Amino acid sequence: GNGDGDPSVPATPGRAQVFAAVVDTFLEKLVTAGSYQRFANCYRCFYKLQPEMTRSIYDQFVSQLQTSIKEEIQEVKEEGNLEVLFNSLDKIVEEAKDHKEPAWRPSGIPEEDVRSAMVPYLLKHRSYLQKVLKEKEEENRKVAESVLAGRDRIAELQQLIQARKLAWQ
Amino acid sequence: MSVNPMAYEAQFFGFTPQTCMLRVYIAFQDYLFEMMLVVESVILKKLDGFPGCKISPCQIRKSTEKFLLFMKEHFDKLFSKMEEVLLQLVLNVPENVLLPEDKVHEQYPYTKEQFQALQDEIQQLQQQYRAEASAGQALQAELEEQKAVRAELEKILQWFDGLDNICREHGTSNFKESFAFLTQNSKKLQDVLKDVEKKSKKIKKHDQLL
Repeated sequence: GNGDGDPSVPATPGRAQVFAAVVDTFLEKLVTAGSYQRFANCYRCFYKLQPEMTRSIYDQFVSQLQTSIKEEIQEVKEEGNLEVLFNSLDKIVEEAKDHKEPAWRPSGIPEEDVRSAMVPYLLKHRSYLQKVLKEKEEENRKVAESVLAGRDRIAELQQLIQARKLAWQ
Repeated sequence: MSVNPMAYEAQFFGFTPQTCMLRVYIAFQDYLFEMMLVVESVILKKLDGFPGCKISPCQIRKSTEKFLLFMKEHFDKLFSKMEEVLLQLVLNVPENVLLPEDKVHEQYPYTKEQFQALQDEIQQLQQQYRAEASAGQALQAELEEQKAVRAELEKILQWFDGLDNICREHGTSNFKESFAFLTQNSKKLQDVLKDVEKKSKKIKKHDQLL
């Protein structure tokens, strides 16, 4: 069984395992169908002549066929990086197990699909703008207060100077 | 029954599952045929070592065809079953599963109208910000102006205060009064001078007459 898995939960075979098992079953059943009896039956005349040779040829045939098929499968797995993809997909499926509804699928219309991809950026941009706008408004409020105070002060100074001028006349 | 193009699976695997299965089918089939040919040629070779036997190559060919036909039938059936299982259980993305790279589509299912509204909102915020920024610039400009004006006015005030201080230091309690007094005195002096001049002219005349 699974050496480092959780013993209380029976592990569902992953895609890689199913793949290997299905290929093995295929080969097994194929070889069973193409049995030695069937082979010898087809090549009856030769079988009668050379029974051991027939057996030996058949064994080699089966062995070679299995090897070639297994090699081809291995090649396909390596080319497609299937081991990694199978494990990754198993994980993704496991994480989605509580998601009962059919999931989103590409609509086939790029303009539609790209919209959702842009939304997170637009949302970030919007909240950034809201923030800097607020800051700017606050900043301006403070500066406006200073400007008003400044105007008052200038008026005050002008009055004082006027008073002095009068006193010297 | 419509053919499922398995496009989403192709997105994940990088190949269409059906294409993969077809490639494998053709490869397996080729191996089967190849092996049968090898078997046949081996048997024929062995027969050459038995010159007296009555088995013709034609018979061997018939045997090969018989076995191959049989194998092919089973091969097709078994492969078909294998393909079905692989397409359903292994090379598939279940309907309820969303690939991680497509997460945004479930998080932000925006319609055209919602998307447009968001864009409009952003544009409006940008305009508002620009307005606030230029208002801020105007305020800052006035602030700078005020600084300069205030400095000038304070200088003038300081000058007035300076005059007051000088008067106090030199004991003249009310410079303004003294200033007015001085102006009056200098006027008196001028009158006295004029008198003296008149009188001196008279005296000179008298002297001449005497």
